[in-house]
Amino acid sequence: MRPIDLFDNYIKGTLSAEDKAGFENQLSNDEVFAKAFQEHKTLIASLAQHATRNELKKKLKAIHEKELGINSKVISMYREETFAKRHGRTLAVAASTAVIAVLSTVALLSTGGYFFKQQNNKITDLNRVVMELKASSDGIVEGITMSNKKVYAPANLEGSAFAINNKGYIITSFHMVNSADSIFVRNNTTERTLASLIFADARLDLAVLKIENSDVSKNWQIPFALKEKTTDIGEKVFTLGYPRKEVVYGEGSLSSLSGYSNDTSMYQISIPVNPGNSGGPLLDEYGNIIGVIRGKISGAEATGFAIKTNEILKSINAIDVDSTRKQLLGQSNKKSSLKSLKRSEQIKKINPYVFNVLVYKKD
Amino acid sequence: MSKSKLQFTDDQFIDGLRNGNNEILSALYKKYYNIVLKFIVNNSGTEEAAQDIYQETVIVLYENAQKPQFSLNCQLQTYIYSVAKRLWLKQLKKNGKTFLFKEDDENELADVTGDVAEHSEKEKNLDKMNKSLLELGEPCATLIKDYYLSKLNMDEIAEKFGYTNADNAKNQKYKCLQRLKKYFFETHSIEQEK
Repeated sequence: MRPIDLFDNYIKGTLSAEDKAGFENQLSNDEVFAKAFQEHKTLIASLAQHATRNELKKKLKAIHEKELGINSKVISMYREETFAKRHGRTLAVAASTAVIAVLSTVALLSTGGYFFKQQNNKITDLNRVVMELKASSDGIVEGITMSNKKVYAPANLEGSAFAINNKGYIITSFHMVNSADSIFVRNNTTERTLASLIFADARLDLAVLKIENSDVSKNWQIPFALKEKTTDIGEKVFTLGYPRKEVVYGEGSLSSLSGYSNDTSMYQISIPVNPGNSGGPLLDEYGNIIGVIRGKISGAEATGFAIKTNEILKSINAIDVDSTRKQLLGQSNKKSSLKSLKRSEQIKKINPYVFNVLVYKKD
Repeated sequence: MSKSKLQFTDDQFIDGLRNGNNEILSALYKKYYNIVLKFIVNNSGTEEAAQDIYQETVIVLYENAQKPQFSLNCQLQTYIYSVAKRLWLKQLKKNGKTFLFKEDDENELADVTGDVAEHSEKEKNLDKMNKSLLELGEPCATLIKDYYLSKLNMDEIAEKFGYTNADNAKNQKYKCLQRLKKYFFETHSIEQEK
């Protein structure tokens, strides 16, 4: 009998009394044999553990799906935790949690009797889910008109971003990049280049990226500054972003000091924003960055929301690691150099520092 | 017991896990998910990551509860939170992103270092087995499981896998197990030490 068969039969208890005695004798006298038996037992035990573990994993997945579904879990979390604790202040806004804001708000409002009026409003993430068809047709057009240019696979998500200092750090929305496998940025002056996630604040929906290749930011001179104070209602504001492959300008005014569901970390603005605008800068007339485009209410086309820069600075200032914080804020401009320029000139100066973000997700 | 709104004590939860009570497992799962979700999302994690970490946390608890000597020396909620926190910190470390981690003192912490370390060891071993089984491929993987776990006999295996007789099946099983052994103790053990 081969050792493995012997082991199996011994464990099963099917050896004759004589064979069993012989087996046990060999176990105690033959070290190599004993070791082989030990290995065999370890292997079978690991096999069993592996199966048990997989069963348990399956069971937990099933429980999760059955009991917590896709959205319900988050809703309850924000209703219980965020709303109770923060009195309806800020909502976390990771990509998948966009619905939450809506639904939990609806749930809260329902107690106040606004349920029916409000229930169709949704805050919509403005990342652009790139349709394969469109993206590939872009690719074809690019291929025809610029035959020497590389054609890349279409990204899963696209949005906007802007530089905060001359070291290659840029700000965008966390919901854009939170499940990214790789992130690229590009604009008319910067070739598509790799960026990595440096800091994230899911509650504010804020992400800081760094362009990996330091040559890209070598000659950067950002013209705008991050405004620390809040801006007043009625101020003229504008944004630049990438709802398409080309940068698009949008203007309007600051309509409220709070955002969706009285969220005081956001402004409401009267700029029609579109998918792809997420993560873009919101600027005042003087070229100060006052916010980051966050989303809009679906159904209300000319209403957008932007995260206030003072909230962003607060969040960055709260980073535990000193060196990271210094790197992020150390280089930022204190003053905008765009104050006296007319709008079209301002935009020319700003454009090199506003980016189209391309996100490739894990499968 | 009425079916609606069952409230279990910590001890009942542990006993339930011990006895493989699915209703209790389900109730426990529901009860503590939000705590872990909130923690992960507040620490740069996605909902998906929260789900993974939470399930791993429940596994740590579940497997510990199977040990006769296991007893909680803190509240169940504290235990779960502490395990989840350790697991998440470990993952951030692995990805070199500890700077994304915000300390908070809101929740009490229990010392679960031992339990988590033990879990990690086991996890390594299971990962090794997983890779070995994948490399082993079919029909070997199923054949081995059928024999050792489902306890099918050689006649049943011969019929299921289309071997002409039990002896042929036995030979196949022998070859399959030899290969599995090689992958498990050699190929993937060496990889892990790198």
